[in-house]
Amino acid sequence: MLELIDVTKDYKGGKRAVDGMTMRLGPGMLGLLGPNGAGKSSLMRIAATITRPTSGKVLFDGVDVVARPDALRRHLGYLPQDFGAHPNLTAREFLSYLAAAKGMSARSSKARIAELLETVNLTEAARRPLGRYSGGMLRRVGIAQALLADPRVIIVDEPTAGLDPQERVRFRTMLADLAADRVVMLSTHIVSDIESVASDIAVVAGGRLLRRGTPGELLNLARGRVWELLVSPAEADAVRMGHVVSRMVRTAEGVRMRVISDAPPSRDAVPAAPDLEDVYLGLVHPHPSHASGGFR
Amino acid sequence: MLQTIGGTALGDFRDRVRRPVYAVTLLAAVVLGYLAVPDAQARFVILNIGGYRGVYDSAYVGTATALAAALWLTLGGFYVVRGAIEHDERTGVGRLVAATPLRTPAYLAAKFLSNVMVLGSMVGVLAATAAVMQFTRAEDRAIDPIALLTPFVVIALPMVAATAAAALLFETLPLLRGGIGNVGWFFVWLTVAVGGLSARAPVDVLGAQHVIRAFRATMTEQGIWKRHSSFSLGLTQEPEPLKSFPWGGLPLTAEFLGGRALLVVAALLVALLPALWFTRFDPARGGFRLTPRQTPATEPELPPAPAYRGLPATPPAYGNTFGRLLAGELTIIVREATAWWWLGAAILAAVGLAVPSGSVAPVALPLAWVWPVLLWSKLGTRHQSDGMESLIGAYPAPHRRLLAEWTAGLAVTALLGLTPLVRMAASGDTPGMTAWLGGALLIPSLALAAGTLTRTPRLFQALYPALWYCAFNGLAPLDFMGAVRDGDTPAGPHPLAVTALAGSLLALTLLTASARGSALLTRHA
Repeated sequence: MLELIDVTKDYKGGKRAVDGMTMRLGPGMLGLLGPNGAGKSSLMRIAATITRPTSGKVLFDGVDVVARPDALRRHLGYLPQDFGAHPNLTAREFLSYLAAAKGMSARSSKARIAELLETVNLTEAARRPLGRYSGGMLRRVGIAQALLADPRVIIVDEPTAGLDPQERVRFRTMLADLAADRVVMLSTHIVSDIESVASDIAVVAGGRLLRRGTPGELLNLARGRVWELLVSPAEADAVRMGHVVSRMVRTAEGVRMRVISDAPPSRDAVPAAPDLEDVYLGLVHPHPSHASGGFR
Repeated sequence: MLQTIGGTALGDFRDRVRRPVYAVTLLAAVVLGYLAVPDAQARFVILNIGGYRGVYDSAYVGTATALAAALWLTLGGFYVVRGAIEHDERTGVGRLVAATPLRTPAYLAAKFLSNVMVLGSMVGVLAATAAVMQFTRAEDRAIDPIALLTPFVVIALPMVAATAAAALLFETLPLLRGGIGNVGWFFVWLTVAVGGLSARAPVDVLGAQHVIRAFRATMTEQGIWKRHSSFSLGLTQEPEPLKSFPWGGLPLTAEFLGGRALLVVAALLVALLPALWFTRFDPARGGFRLTPRQTPATEPELPPAPAYRGLPATPPAYGNTFGRLLAGELTIIVREATAWWWLGAAILAAVGLAVPSGSVAPVALPLAWVWPVLLWSKLGTRHQSDGMESLIGAYPAPHRRLLAEWTAGLAVTALLGLTPLVRMAASGDTPGMTAWLGGALLIPSLALAAGTLTRTPRLFQALYPALWYCAFNGLAPLDFMGAVRDGDTPAGPHPLAVTALAGSLLALTLLTASARGSALLTRHA
């Protein structure tokens, strides 16, 4: 349905944000995981037709959307990482304006806006100017606008920023529901956001696609390479110098560490079951001074 | 302390010179330098002393270019350096600075110094251009650095300091912080800089009176100063090329130098004055204007729904939505207008009905068509200023949105000009009505083009009052609305030409949006 083929984006000054990425997306949720500056947002903006790629193609149902962006825009729900709204409009007026921009008829947009305001629990505040909304409430308006036209493709960039824990859970459930028959592309650097909903995960760093697979496939990368050990504070520094450390807790007995390494980091180290955070760290931060501990 | 101020100012200056707009301002300085020393046969002049100009030696070229800089940099430079504090607020740097030991006067002094450095660099480019122009015009190729540069130091730089201070002062005053300040500065400039050219002006802010006296003394010695000789500084077209005379250079009297030094001291005091009320980006103390996203909620947060209950059941349907887009754009504009604005509009409408028919086009219409300048100036900039570019960029048919925005601007223009139009129709003033139509089409086109090209309302806020002032004061070639009359007919450009210009500006806007549309957010890399 949505294809990104050998997409590259160079910014002024020669910075390459996206470096030859290829992805094919069908119904389901793709979680895009990567550190800040990995190129996630650039890739999302390219997929959302906001940024033109320096080279490569973006196809939607076989149509080149770099040349004809409206082919995708009519079926797209996009929630950017940062956005504002006209502060003097109410939520209902704002959504009505955006529905008109989408080309939706008055009758259907009126009904859908009412339903969407109910979905994000803003009906009570629908007559309040957006300038008086908190960041979290504005984020909910953003979610509502992304769903205005019942999109076939949903692209959400760091969507849970500014949402409280309860709202995060609700939003993730909604995304999972949407992903049943739509393309959902979700980017985040919060591993738990992806872990709970995405059936397909892509890890990116430095503008490149490092790995893509199901959570199970990615976990297999780290199997037998995650260790837990208890060391003295003095030894902890040495371990940290030589390995990728995914967690470290100071306790009364010493420092409990979780280490990613091909071989046991010490004789006392015991193997541990990997989780996605271990995989992510192993892929994104292979330790420079150590031959092992990275999965690239 | 001085080291802190210098370091802060230098950091600010570096940040500004790395923005693309800085290169444009330097280019503008080069163009101004070129215009200040026109070809001997040119009919357009910046400086005219009773039909004469000085021979193009270092003293005259330096003085003429410095005067042009003092006049035009005071106007344009204000808009160039305006926004130093707003930039700190927008980027969040202000809050970081507010948490450091840097005192408010030191912060303001640094901002003032940074403003001076930006404008001073333009003066530097002008001085270099002046040297090149003197050499190119080849009337006297011997470049005397002292004679060339002294006028820049004593005439242009004090005005630069005054402009830098005024920009800072305006930014810290809530009323003058936005569009009112931008429009207001044109009239301040008109009064202080242009009015200062008059021999009856109480204070010689520009330094031009001293220069005029020096010119007059030399010309009197040479017997070419006539009783009715006049002086003009600006950009005018003359019936024939100016004659030249050798000029000795700018006399540096103690009185003149003292006046210039006093101007610099006054500028510094004006720059530091806001320390009395500047709240260091603290919203709790009614601090600097916050962007919409950062506006604290003034009403209670609504809790999320207890559970997710599924997606909306109504399927979307599509149709013609231009009318609703237009309604949305009009709502956005109308909500920005305060009750006071509407009261003013109503009074102007009443004026349009009450004035004698001979005053409808020259008085009532121009007054009606300057009132919405701040609303027009937001055309093409609202999505940017409200932080909506990233959101709206993924919506289809951007041209349709732009056309809706333009039509909303046209509706405001037509509404404000309605009573003068009715009066013209009642008196059978068909040429006036045709000119009205041209003007009504041009204003939103100019506003939308300026806003789309620069993504800020500032260009239109600087440009339109100047254009309007020219038309209101009888300058027929720039009369876009039919205010200047030759008998019963408008003396300005033909309405078809105005309409063609409006169409070209609208086409330029649409082309700009197309070219830019796919790369809106490249700067957020």
